[in-house]
Formats: sequence, C-alpha cells, structure tokens
Amino acid sequence: MAPQFPTAAALRPLLERRLVIVTGKGGTGKTSVAAALALAAASSGKRVLVAEVGRDEHLPRLIAPGSPPVGYAGRELVPQLTAMRIDPYAALGEYLGLQLHLRSAVELVLRNRAFRQLMDASPGWRELITLGKVWHFEQMRDPRGAPRFDLLVVDAPATGHGISFLDVPRVVVSAVRTGPLRRNAELVEEMIADRDRTLLLPVALAEELPARETADLVAKVRGELRIALDRIVVNALVARPFPPGLEDLDVQLARLPAEPRWPGLPPPPVIAACAAHLRSRYELNRVYLDEIARSTGLPVVPLPFLPSGIRGPEDLRRLAEPLLATPVAVAA
Amino acid sequence: MPRNPTELVLQKRIVTCVGSGGVGKTTLAAALGLEAARQGRRALVITIDPARRLADALGIGALGNEPKPIPAGALAALGVSSGGALFAMMLDIKRSFDDLVERFAESPEAREVILKNRIYQHVSDALAGSAEYSAMEKVFELSERLEYDLIVVDTPPSQHALDFLEAPQRLLDFLDSRLVQLLLHPAFAAGRFGFRLFQRSAQRVLQLLERVSGLGFLEEISEFLLAFEGMSEGFRERARRVRALLLGADSAFVLAAGPSAEGVQHAALLLTRLEAAGVPLAGVVVNRVRMWPGDGEPPARIAEGTEETAALQALEQALAASSGASYPAQEAARAALAAIRTYASLVRSDTQTIAPLRSSALARGLFWRRVPELPHDVHDLEGVSRVATALVRPPAEASLG
Repeated sequence: MAPQFPTAAALRPLLERRLVIVTGKGGTGKTSVAAALALAAASSGKRVLVAEVGRDEHLPRLIAPGSPPVGYAGRELVPQLTAMRIDPYAALGEYLGLQLHLRSAVELVLRNRAFRQLMDASPGWRELITLGKVWHFEQMRDPRGAPRFDLLVVDAPATGHGISFLDVPRVVVSAVRTGPLRRNAELVEEMIADRDRTLLLPVALAEELPARETADLVAKVRGELRIALDRIVVNALVARPFPPGLEDLDVQLARLPAEPRWPGLPPPPVIAACAAHLRSRYELNRVYLDEIARSTGLPVVPLPFLPSGIRGPEDLRRLAEPLLATPVAVAA
Repeated sequence: MPRNPTELVLQKRIVTCVGSGGVGKTTLAAALGLEAARQGRRALVITIDPARRLADALGIGALGNEPKPIPAGALAALGVSSGGALFAMMLDIKRSFDDLVERFAESPEAREVILKNRIYQHVSDALAGSAEYSAMEKVFELSERLEYDLIVVDTPPSQHALDFLEAPQRLLDFLDSRLVQLLLHPAFAAGRFGFRLFQRSAQRVLQLLERVSGLGFLEEISEFLLAFEGMSEGFRERARRVRALLLGADSAFVLAAGPSAEGVQHAALLLTRLEAAGVPLAGVVVNRVRMWPGDGEPPARIAEGTEETAALQALEQALAASSGASYPAQEAARAALAAIRTYASLVRSDTQTIAPLRSSALARGLFWRRVPELPHDVHDLEGVSRVATALVRPPAEASLG
C-alpha cells in the first residue's frame, strides 16, 4: 500500500529561486517539467526565461503548440515567458564574431566539418559557453535596473554523463590561472554554487533503471558539485487503481467461478487479470518511488501519469500544482 | 533471412540487438541466447551495463570482460538439454577502447601519450560511436576464437544506432581532413590550391581559441593527433574486417522498441537508417506491450448502455457470494468494471501506437514480435525465459486492417 510520507517543511519554494536547472535522462519527461515550471511561474506574474540546450526544439510546441521555432534568438511565447534554444555553436559564433570582427571568416570556419569535429572532440567549451549564456541572461537588467528575468529555467542536455555539464566551470577555474576564460568560468561557477539562487532539479521515473540512475546522480552531485539539490521530481506515477478499502480487488475477482457469462462483460478470469495488471503496475511504481526516496534521502515530488500524454499548455497546467506543492519526505 | 527468432538463432553466428535506451535490449539479447541454448547451440550473450539485478541473475554482476557460463543446473530447469550452453559477459567499453590503442599504437611511447592525453579521454564521447565500435571490435575478437556457435550482442543505447559502423571511418576522415593536416603538417597543407583563405581564417580562429582558453588546447590536440596518426593503418584494416563481419551473411540485426509513441517513432527512423546502410535486418521486437488477457483484442463494447446495470448487478451478486456478506460488493463491482475499461483502453492504445511499426516491419518481410508487459521487471532467468517464450510462441494478433 502507498506509504504516507510526512511533508518536508522548510524547503524553499521552487518559484523563489532565480535559476532552476532541470536534469534527467531522455524519456523521463524532463522537458515537460521544465515547461510546466516556466508556465506556472509566468502565470504567477514572474518574468521567465526557459532555455533548452542542443539542436532540437521541444519547448515551443509544448507551451504554445503550432508556434514556429524560437531558435537561438528566442521569443516571448506567452506573456512574461520567453523561450530560447542555446546552440553551443551559435553561441561560439557569436563570441568569435565579437572578438574577431570578421563574421564571414568565422562562419566559413564554423561550417568546416573538420573544425566541427575538432571542436566536438574538445572538452568543456560547449558546457562553459552554454552556462555563460545563462549567466548573461541572469545578469540582464531592464531599463529600471531590475533583473530582466525573475526566474530562469534550463532544460539541461539529456547526456549520458548527466551532470558533468555543471562541473566544467569548477574544472576550468582549477586548471586555468588567468585570462578571459578563467574570469568567465569564475562567474559561472559562482552562480551555480550559490545555494540561494540556484537549484538542480532532477526528474526521474519510478522504474528500475531510472531509479538506479537517479541514485547515482545524487551521489555524484553530493560528492563533486556544490550546486543545491533539495528534491527529486518523480514523473508519470500511475493513479491508485481501486478505491480505498478495495486494495485486493484482483484477488477477490480471481475467486469468482470461471464459467458464468455476464451481459457485456468478458469472462471472470479476464476481469481478474485486467485488475491484476493495473495493480501490479501501480505497486511496482510505488516500490521504485520509495526506492528513489530512500536511496537519495531527498523528499520527492510525485507527478501524475497523464494517460493522454502531454501535448500542450492545458496538460502542463495539470502538472503545475503537484510540481509546486511541498515535496514529501520518505518515512524512516 | 530467417523468418522467426528460432531460425535466427539457428542460422546466424552474430545477432546484434539495436534500439534506444530502456527498451529492453538486454532482456531481448538474453532471451535470444536462451532460445539458442534450447536449440542445442553454444551461445554467448554480450551486454553493456544492464539493469543490475539482471546482471546478477546472469552471474555477471562484476565487470570482467570475459565470458562466464550460466550453471548447467539453472539452464536445465529452463528446458536446455545437453549440448546447449549459455555464456554471458558484461563488456567494459573503456577498457576495450584502451585495448585497441594498445594493439595499434606504433610504440610504447605513443601509447602512453594517447592514453594520458585529455583529448583522448573525451574522444570516445565526442567521436560519437567509438564506444559502440569498441563493443563490436570485442565481438569480432570473440567470433574469431570460434568457441561459440552464436554471439548475441546488446549494443549501447545510442541516438545514432549506426555509430558503431560509422565511427571508425569518421575517425579516419577526421585524421585525413585539411584542418588536421594543417595542424600536423603546416608546410605541406599550405601548398594546396584553394587552401589559403580557409587556412588564414582557421588559423585566426584557432589562435583566438588558444589565447582565450589558455589551456594548451592546440598543443594537446596536435600531440594526440600525431600519436594517433601512426595507428591509422592497423585501425583501418581492422575496421574493414569488423564491418565485413557485421554486414556479412553470418550476421543479423534485431530492432527492439518500446511501446510509447516516441519509442515507435524512434524505432521507425532507425529501421529506415539501418536499411539504407545495408544492415542485414531480421526482425522487430516491441517490449512491454499491454495485451488483452488470454488472446486477441479487447471487446469493442464493455457493458455499455442498457447492459451496464445488468452487468454491475451480476458482478455484485457474484462478489457477494464469493467474498462474503461484509465485502462492499457494490463498490467492488463498479471498480471492477472501471478496471476492465481502463485496461482495455491501455491495450487498445498500445496496439494503435505500435501499428505503424508493425506495418513497416511486415512490409519489409521482417519478423514481428510483441513481448507482453510482465507483472514485474525482468531480473531473473525465469523472466528471461518468459520473454523467450513470447518470442518463440507469439500470441494471436488481429490481421492488418
């Protein structure tokens, strides 16, 4: 049966952060969580930037279905909510162009396949330039001198290497003594390590492999990074299949005689099997929810499975309330 | 091409399972290996970072990079008679790639330079597919030993399933490229026609990167490339032979997919790419599909309209009779009806979701199998055995409408 967790008080609400970095493997619904958070924040009156990292765009079609791509330049998708895609090569081009004042030469080089491979093989710059861009947005001020964005939500790349993304500035600061790169890395590292401003928000599924990967991720963050981590979002939890008091309905159904045929119903063994399927799916989900909470020692934010999928702002709004609710801590 | 999984494991020497992460490739590979053993073959299953408990069940919990036999007693219980044998190994990708460098490096010094170089540390990530390639390299090595009738390989999860075929060529192209030649042999490259404009721009960009980074960026890259260049001949020849083995008559591929819309889209894309690359595809397997209990499809109508009241009454009476007077039979009857409808809609939705993949598999003459969602994760040999059974004796399926 579902354990009842006491609530974890005293956690700073998600919407009071300045920068939330949403992380998780592909398939966990990380992008939906980033979009739901951004939309909820914008609806509550905050000025929000949501950024995804990489070549493909997924956010615009969730937040404002049918809208054209937002690209590197970004665009306000709904009032108060700007979305953009941080393409490391676009950011590199912007940076080199500013430094060299030779747009055409820079573009010629950036288009070169071997140059790309050389850059692909070079560690660190992608992460640093992406985080540098985020830092730039965090610093932006409006004409009155107030921050241009109250909340920045970053949909971090779904790489196999998880959060090594966030470790780059620290490595650069420790490896490089002087120069613009070090200054840049220091500022970025300061932003990431600021436990009041910044939060890492992992998204997991209550299944075997994702549960294990989440435990590994949390252990790694605690061991190597200084970023704040105060909850795990556990996505797509299936609803309790039967009303309270009927938890063993499948067992009761399995006791029915097998023969009778009732109008419009499949035979009793099939009815019992349907119920058993729903129950085992639910219980397996709960086992791994518990395991995530136990192995990480962190409160969890359970999000419901939406049978029709997440297709637009209506679905995102259904995730907002449970996402912003106070997380629940596991019972000892 | 084999027409079903049994023919597949009887006819081929190498079977490669491809698909994105989390779709049950490891389980599929283990199930195919078990079927081969049941057919009296000596089979080896090579896996990469599987779910931990499945690894424990297969007796390969620790990284060993060497095959280990599944105990004969355990196999006998699963219907493997004498003659059949099953081995399993967990592949250590980093070590396999290091082995490659060890084998082809020109000298011990070059080897040390490569292994210690920071660019090398990243090259397996960056030149996407190096990990997949080194897995295939290990398969090649094991197949040359001729100790197994069949090797079943579970490839690493990959966005680009063809990486293991293309990675070596990509690496060689890169070494041959003008930019790299410029770094390695500036004087030679500069003489080539049409190179100068590019060279000037490239040099300015590289110098800027060097100045900004202060990391010894160019120096390190040049060092890596120079050391690696000496390896390229041995590497090239070996890559050609690995490729010939995987695309040859003794080899076949099986595509694994998950039942989600995203999973199906991804699998369909992969199917097209594999076909275009001339990969010998044998079949498509969808894992964890919700199926209607027993056989066939869920009924189109479940106690609808006027039937509902009668159905609920019948259920309530039957439950009251079997579970006792104190059991809330009325509520239970309603919950049971809801459960049938919910599960039926899940089954219909899965059937609909995977239909396009089924059409494209059947249109290509591939075998098509659905593995039902089991009540628990597969993490023992018993579970592997159930998957194998689903592959060999597929439940009935409605014909293509």
